[in-house]
Amino acid sequence: MVNITILYLMIPLAAGIFFGYRLRQRKHINLNRVTFAVILVLIFSLGFTIGSNNDLLMSIPAVGVSALGMAVSAIIFSVLFVVLVRRKLKI
Amino acid sequence: MIKYILAALALGVAAGYAVNNFSSGFPNVLVTDYLLSAALYILLFVMGLTFAIDKEAVAKLRATGLKLLIVPVLVILGSILGGLVAGLIFQLDLFGSMAVTAGYGWYTLTGPLLTQMLGTTWGALGFAANFLRELLTIVTITLLVRLDKYAPIASGGATTMDTTFPLIVRYCGSETLITAFSSGFVLSMIAPFTVIAIASLV
Repeated sequence: MVNITILYLMIPLAAGIFFGYRLRQRKHINLNRVTFAVILVLIFSLGFTIGSNNDLLMSIPAVGVSALGMAVSAIIFSVLFVVLVRRKLKI
Repeated sequence: MIKYILAALALGVAAGYAVNNFSSGFPNVLVTDYLLSAALYILLFVMGLTFAIDKEAVAKLRATGLKLLIVPVLVILGSILGGLVAGLIFQLDLFGSMAVTAGYGWYTLTGPLLTQMLGTTWGALGFAANFLRELLTIVTITLLVRLDKYAPIASGGATTMDTTFPLIVRYCGSETLITAFSSGFVLSMIAPFTVIAIASLV
């Protein structure tokens, strides 16, 4: 199941790269507005997924504090490791 | 920019809640599955276009080769250590806590997996903690990028392949595209294994 999901995600990315190369010689194309509009749709759908899941909404206060602690802790150490190694190895 | 994103998120939560609780018959799957997937595919396509059209992006990428594996490996170590530290602070089962953070932000995987393996409370923790990781990555991206161009990729974990991917490319620059995608890709491949392996130690 995981592999199929990844394949589904790779196809549009690969197609975009393929067409992008062919469009290189054309005049400057600005995709920022399109990108941003689609981001908003994506984030809206994500919000909708959460809002329509009553079990998840109910569990937020009960587990919220430890969950927030875990999320923050995981982020801090991940960022710390990547930043330190990047500076050490100059990559 | 970020305020529009937060507004879209809040609007989505409100709409999802309203539709689910006050109206009957609306097929939620239209939004939670089809709209979400369609937006994701379009975005990935546009991201690919943006990257390939930018002539400098490929040159910038040449210098990133090694980072392709270094970043996800560091995120795995950082996330699991982060889970250990949080478990110590909140006096939770340490393996349970590490299993939660070994989902690297992939809450739709970690939640159900832990529900099945360790019960509802851990499942809710797995869902909430990983969801908050994604949310915090979105909210703090403009701060993190000032610390380091690759910090948002570390923060985003497995989500840098899909939901946070467009934001990262936008704020960190198109030369981070391959690192962001491949790091998210590697972490998504590994997440099911690390969650199951660590949860089985509880």
